Amino acid sequence: METKLRSETTGFALAAAVTVLFNTGLAWAKDAYAPLQDFMKSVGGHHWTTHGLADLVVFVGLGLIFTRVQAVEKMDAERVIRILTGSVAVAALGLVVWFVVH
Amino acid sequence: MTMISLSDVVLLAHAGFGVTGCLAAAWVVAEALNARPENAGRIRGVALLVALTMAAAWICGGYWYVHFYPEEKTLILAGPWPFAHNVFMEVKEHLFFITGVLALLLPIAARENLSANAGARRLVICVAGLIVITGLAVEGAGAVIDHGVKVALLHGVSTGER
Repeated sequence: METKLRSETTGFALAAAVTVLFNTGLAWAKDAYAPLQDFMKSVGGHHWTTHGLADLVVFVGLGLIFTRVQAVEKMDAERVIRILTGSVAVAALGLVVWFVVH
Repeated sequence: MTMISLSDVVLLAHAGFGVTGCLAAAWVVAEALNARPENAGRIRGVALLVALTMAAAWICGGYWYVHFYPEEKTLILAGPWPFAHNVFMEVKEHLFFITGVLALLLPIAARENLSANAGARRLVICVAGLIVITGLAVEGAGAVIDHGVKVALLHGVSTGER
């Protein structure tokens, strides 16, 4: 049975993995450093709006780039699944711990 | 007298689209577990529905959060459940982006030949499952935030504008 993924699937799955980690990192950074939050507010009218747009740009941009990278194309489906689920777990837990403790 | 404001409509649309997206993602899990050539089109269609409903939830939620939430935030922070904002809203507003990105990924992954590709099938089940889990967590956080406003009002807290 076939197990190889299309390059678009692998590329955008890895882009999603990076984006969710970026999302949590940006949430930490703007919460800890007020000037960054002010800057994000000045860009999109509200820091949350800019945050969402930044996530979309990272996801789409990296997805298009990763789709064209040969090393990514050869990646096994199980490895892609492990990277994506691991990233989502770390990113979600990172948000919960940060806002509970902070 | 019944009075339904724009804020109410947008907020309920946000929650409604979110729940619909979660249910559609659960549907994708069930279909992908039984992937055959006959249901390939249905899986792709429902995966697209997940992306569209989550995008609509994103837009409605974002509009409400930016335009209407500040007044409720003031109530919550002055009430007995400040953690409804400090923890639950802070986590929800950022966790939702994870759900949103996964929802955008799902229709791309669902374009694979799932009946013939075990790896792709597991990926689609995994992505849709993560949408259900994170989406329900976001929905639950929304209920706590809503209750934070309710207990504040029950304790006589006011923004001074009502």
